[in-house]
Amino acid sequence: MNMNDRIEAMLEKVQKAPRYTGGEMNTQIKGWEEAPLHFVFCFPDTYEVGMSHLGMKILTGLINDQDWSLCERCFMPWVDMMALMKEEQVPLFSLESRRPLKDFDVVGFTLMYEMSYSNVLAMLDMGGVPVERRDRGENDPIVVAGGGCASNPEPISDFIDAFMIGAGEEVMLELNRVILERKEKGWTREECLKRLAQLEGVYVPSLYDAEYHPDGTLKSFRPNCPEAPERVMKRYVDDFDHAYFPSKVAVPYTEVVFDRITLEIMRGCTRGCRFCQAGMLYRPVRERSLETLVHQAETLVEATGYEEISLSSLSSGDYTCLPELIRELMRRMKDRRVSISLPSLRIDSVLKESLEETQQVKKSSLTFAPEAGTQRLRDVINKGVTEEDLIEKVRDAFQGGWSSVKLYFMDGLPTETVEDLDGIADLAKKVVAEYFKVPKGERARGLRVTVSCSTFVPKPHTPFQWAAQDTISVINEKQEHLREVLKIKGVNFNWHAPHLSFLEACFSRGDRRLGRVLKRAWERGCLLDGWNDQFKFDEWMEAFRDCGLDPAFYANRERSREELLPWDFLDCGITKDFLWREKEKSDRAETTRDCRKGCNGCGIQRFKGLCAYADPKRAGAPSPSLVPYEPEGGNA
Amino acid sequence: MRMLGVFEKSERVRHIGHLDIQRAVQRGLRRSGLPVAYSNGFNPHIQVTFASALSTGACGKREIMDVKMAEPVSEEVFLRKMNAAMPQDMQLSSARAVDDRHPALMASLKAGIYEMVIRDPRQADRLLPAIGPMMAQETIPVARKTKSGIKEVDMKPLIYALRGEGQKLYATLMLTERESCKPNMILEGLKRAAGMPEEEEVRMLVIRTQLLGEAGDGGLVPLETL
Ligand code: SF4
Repeated sequence: MNMNDRIEAMLEKVQKAPRYTGGEMNTQIKGWEEAPLHFVFCFPDTYEVGMSHLGMKILTGLINDQDWSLCERCFMPWVDMMALMKEEQVPLFSLESRRPLKDFDVVGFTLMYEMSYSNVLAMLDMGGVPVERRDRGENDPIVVAGGGCASNPEPISDFIDAFMIGAGEEVMLELNRVILERKEKGWTREECLKRLAQLEGVYVPSLYDAEYHPDGTLKSFRPNCPEAPERVMKRYVDDFDHAYFPSKVAVPYTEVVFDRITLEIMRGCTRGCRFCQAGMLYRPVRERSLETLVHQAETLVEATGYEEISLSSLSSGDYTCLPELIRELMRRMKDRRVSISLPSLRIDSVLKESLEETQQVKKSSLTFAPEAGTQRLRDVINKGVTEEDLIEKVRDAFQGGWSSVKLYFMDGLPTETVEDLDGIADLAKKVVAEYFKVPKGERARGLRVTVSCSTFVPKPHTPFQWAAQDTISVINEKQEHLREVLKIKGVNFNWHAPHLSFLEACFSRGDRRLGRVLKRAWERGCLLDGWNDQFKFDEWMEAFRDCGLDPAFYANRERSREELLPWDFLDCGITKDFLWREKEKSDRAETTRDCRKGCNGCGIQRFKGLCAYADPKRAGAPSPSLVPYEPEGGNA
Repeated sequence: MRMLGVFEKSERVRHIGHLDIQRAVQRGLRRSGLPVAYSNGFNPHIQVTFASALSTGACGKREIMDVKMAEPVSEEVFLRKMNAAMPQDMQLSSARAVDDRHPALMASLKAGIYEMVIRDPRQADRLLPAIGPMMAQETIPVARKTKSGIKEVDMKPLIYALRGEGQKLYATLMLTERESCKPNMILEGLKRAAGMPEEEEVRMLVIRTQLLGEAGDGGLVPLETL
């Protein structure tokens, strides 16, 4: 049987064949010969997860829009498919042309969460690409990666030739152009990598060496050749309002996790929550103009036929013209029966007015994220939300006809005590009480309050990057306590065992020695770790042992101000001084104001014109929806 | 006014289930910008029905969608706009405008024509010669799954025609709301007649090439022309 017949035979046996067959609307791409540069975009998780990811759709669209490059897609196969592929000796193939990954010039991964790293190794191996970068030869593809986790690329740097740090929209094309030039001019792999290292926002791990102190902490981290910069600067999108946006995005046949249009209304967040890596990394805040968003919404509705639009950003309620935007979208979408949903409502910023409007279209459950149970702890994490705020919004919601509320919290936050845990239960009780205050005839039936608690993972580039994560046994005790105090009528409690968060903590703040652990774990069969039924915690622990490394060193150890951190060579905009200042304020439970009230000197102000709130006069023409700057003095 | 659109479900998308095909057509209709009718109610959806559900794994050459229009449009415009809005693997070959009182397709459906390709030529060589003997039997008992368990039924009265050639079987099989014969049942019957062990796996590609309805004179004609 030829390859295609073998694939067809496998597809008849697997659970969800459409994960591997492609051909969805708006994915009819050019033929292999039509473009000289071949890129395969790999998502290290299943089709359903990957096809929900806006960034993937933007980047595949961008690469395909260039007449000199084509982009195909590949996802992590499910275990049944992997077993068949092994049996039939079929390499991991792209959905479009069904070629193995090794046939492409560039294999690109998006790294959304640490626990997908083992899938990266598996996909490379199944696709016929040597797993470790040092084993790759002149004819092997260049393996690149980007996404949120690239902000500490070290733990996975044994397997990636070049990382893109920051926004991928522009650097992606620059990188592809260099790789195309290599093809034309016959540069060696090494020469090509050295040229890539000179692009702003590109990190090439083979050009750097790390040394360690006897206690295991990092002693030095330096480039080993003149082509590599001392510090790698993150990339920004120059003009967010006019950033590339695909006019056609793929519409899956089968149901995926987020099966709707996502409109990114704003990038960044001005709130400065101290646990939030995205809030630190995606500074400064930039809003998309109303005109651009309305145009994007119409283009996408026409191109996809989706029946739902969701507005996305870290803090949608902060979007300056939110009510206007919702009203305008609803007006234009009414005849087309498209509903609008707001996923990440911030309890202190959503106008009652827009609550009422969304409800007209769809009465889904409302989500609030107080994150911590007491005001003291909310001050520690700088979550600028008060109990009164929350209760008021919940009251509005119940009066407006909602009966289902979700409350998100974290356990294991720095300085957390039993009072803070009890505070979660108190808050849940108060929410339930608000529901019963609405007269019986007027409130919607079927009260459902869901309290979800996730385990805090300290992240690089945040004020908590020095903090110790609670040990698994401490978290277990805390969760046990929460289960007790949250036995409240009408309240559902969701929690997750802390093991995955523990590993996430290791890999989010790990150094390059963890590459060995990763490889060992993969050899021991660790795969699809984000899936409960596949996660093999014990094998991971064995892998640490095999490599002589202690996971607690990475997860549960508090770092000192002096320690050289594995990601210190990256300049992600915010400075270490700012993060340390924030850490000290957090120790004193002191809050930091919202950037919209004045600049806090995070480091972004070093780049003239980048942040509209730091330097209003020089900021590049602010989009029409930016709020005017309110001078209030600043400590920049 | 309603529009009967004849469309293909090609080999690439044959593993897409019926519900997902329905949704793909709904989204295609939305993309087309055609004046389709929506149902009332809280979750309005496009009023479109299908003559028959095609099973997961099977291809269809001439499947039929039945779309209620809010305003009249010409067949040409419908065809052109839909083909621009549908994926390559689900293109339409014809469209026919009918009156709202046109009988529901599902009710007029009588039979389907199937092409069944036996992937392994050696198995085809063993199975095809069994067609004659099987059809000569008085009854052709096959097992069929029902809600109350597995039941033996006689499928002989459900077969209008069956012949074979090379690796292919051509079958015209009853397909009504009440009673239908599935291509798998034919395979099962042939395996029995050929003395092939039940557990022997036979890979077969099923292509439904035509849906049939009953004309005034009792003859079977393409459903979309009825
Ligand atoms: S530069 Fe100032 S205003 Fe801008 S994000 Fe940083 S702290 Fe906030």
